[in-house]
Amino acid sequence: MKPILKRKMPLVAFAIVIAFATSIMVSCAESQKVKAKTGAQLWAENCQRCHNTPSPASFSHDQWTTIGMHMQTRAQLTDEERDKIVAFLRQF
Amino acid sequence: MSNNQLTVLVVITVFFGLTIKPASAQQSGVDSALLQRIDALEQQMADQKPGESHLMIVGVATFGFNANKTTVIPPGGPGQSAKTVTLGDADRYEFSPMLLWRHGTKWLMEFEPSFDGNNLGVNWANISYFAAPGLIVRAGYFVLPFGIYNKRLAAGWIDKVAPDPVGIDLPGSDFGVGISGGLPLGSMKWSYDISLTNGLQLQPDGELQGAGIVDNNLNKTVSGRLSLLPFSNSCLEIGVSALYGGVASGLPYNNANATMYGADLNFVKTLSPILVNIKGQFSRLLVNGQPYVKPTDSSAYTFDNRSSSSFIQCSFRPTAGQRAFVKNLELAFRYVNFETPPNSFWGQNYREEDLGLDYWFSWRTVLKFTYAWSRSTNTSDNTSGLKGVVTNMNNIYLQFSLQL
Repeated sequence: MKPILKRKMPLVAFAIVIAFATSIMVSCAESQKVKAKTGAQLWAENCQRCHNTPSPASFSHDQWTTIGMHMQTRAQLTDEERDKIVAFLRQF
Repeated sequence: MSNNQLTVLVVITVFFGLTIKPASAQQSGVDSALLQRIDALEQQMADQKPGESHLMIVGVATFGFNANKTTVIPPGGPGQSAKTVTLGDADRYEFSPMLLWRHGTKWLMEFEPSFDGNNLGVNWANISYFAAPGLIVRAGYFVLPFGIYNKRLAAGWIDKVAPDPVGIDLPGSDFGVGISGGLPLGSMKWSYDISLTNGLQLQPDGELQGAGIVDNNLNKTVSGRLSLLPFSNSCLEIGVSALYGGVASGLPYNNANATMYGADLNFVKTLSPILVNIKGQFSRLLVNGQPYVKPTDSSAYTFDNRSSSSFIQCSFRPTAGQRAFVKNLELAFRYVNFETPPNSFWGQNYREEDLGLDYWFSWRTVLKFTYAWSRSTNTSDNTSGLKGVVTNMNNIYLQFSLQL
């Protein structure tokens, strides 16, 4: 393989993976069972995957929105999970 | 109407006129004060209107005590022991404020400087754009998507035992761009996290260095992790990771590149009355055949440059216990294995076991007692004079960590 082609390999691989991820992304759907989950359920199930479940009193409503986004970058929550969990934490 | 009646009517009108007028003036005064107060409150509200830019600071602080006994046993010879006692060192002390700066609900900047007792460094400094459901684009300096430990479990208030698993630090953080997201898949869920970064750097003795380097080659490194959560309650997560990229260019190297692959597991479920938490990660690192330089005499040498690291950890917490004190206890165990290339100058077979008892003051404040024992057998090049040397270590940690 020519050196220039070899050098491009990571970029090509990166492009393939992005295309694959995009195609999967648009074809996914969640089941009714998952769709019906409440924010409280999702809070209990997802937070403890890495750490203890947080107390709603720990942060302000506005801060929970920020933390929801931060947690999504860390733990790859789905958008619906993030929105429901944040809405639950903002109730208190 | 008679004159008398008219007079009475005028008197009554004047009387009511006189009595009503001051009352009306009083009412008007109250309204005016109320309106002024409302105006003032509205002004205060307007002054404090948050807008779209939201900055918050959180942070992690970890400190503690470590007593260490190290015994070095040369081949066939008697061992020699040394003891140390310290209130903090590079691995056990951490003070890391974290800035989260959100603009609306699309942009997020994350910055975490960290003082570890010896250096003031940066763990990550990146910006993320929440482009679409299941698609976050990020750029900057971030933790590479490889395994679960470095990105999710390394913080002191999350980790179940005091020390980090040895050998799990690569690939660490790097400069680049990436995409990530979590998506539903029926009753399951999957996630991806992919990045394109500068890459690791090959040192003359054959070791790879991650953080604190300047890119020295044209090649870039692709790394990524895919995970599947097969159950609808997200209790199990299985992930696979891979990394490939150039690590050096120019003489004496010959298209030096590194390949890493790994797998990880995360299981968290309450098997009443115990919360069971099992986590593990395995990774393997390969660098293609290259000429290296011995640090002792600068002569050339080479070896099969393969390393592997792994850990498995389980912890148990009686969350459904009757007494608060018991519910806040957690028992943890971790096994660590780290093997570096035989006949390299840093070759070793390392094993470590950690047994910990934690007490949780709150969901993010913990006091950890950990007893760790390890055995490392030197497998380095014969000329190092250390081949076959065994190093046994016993450590006691008392560590306090909190996130605010």
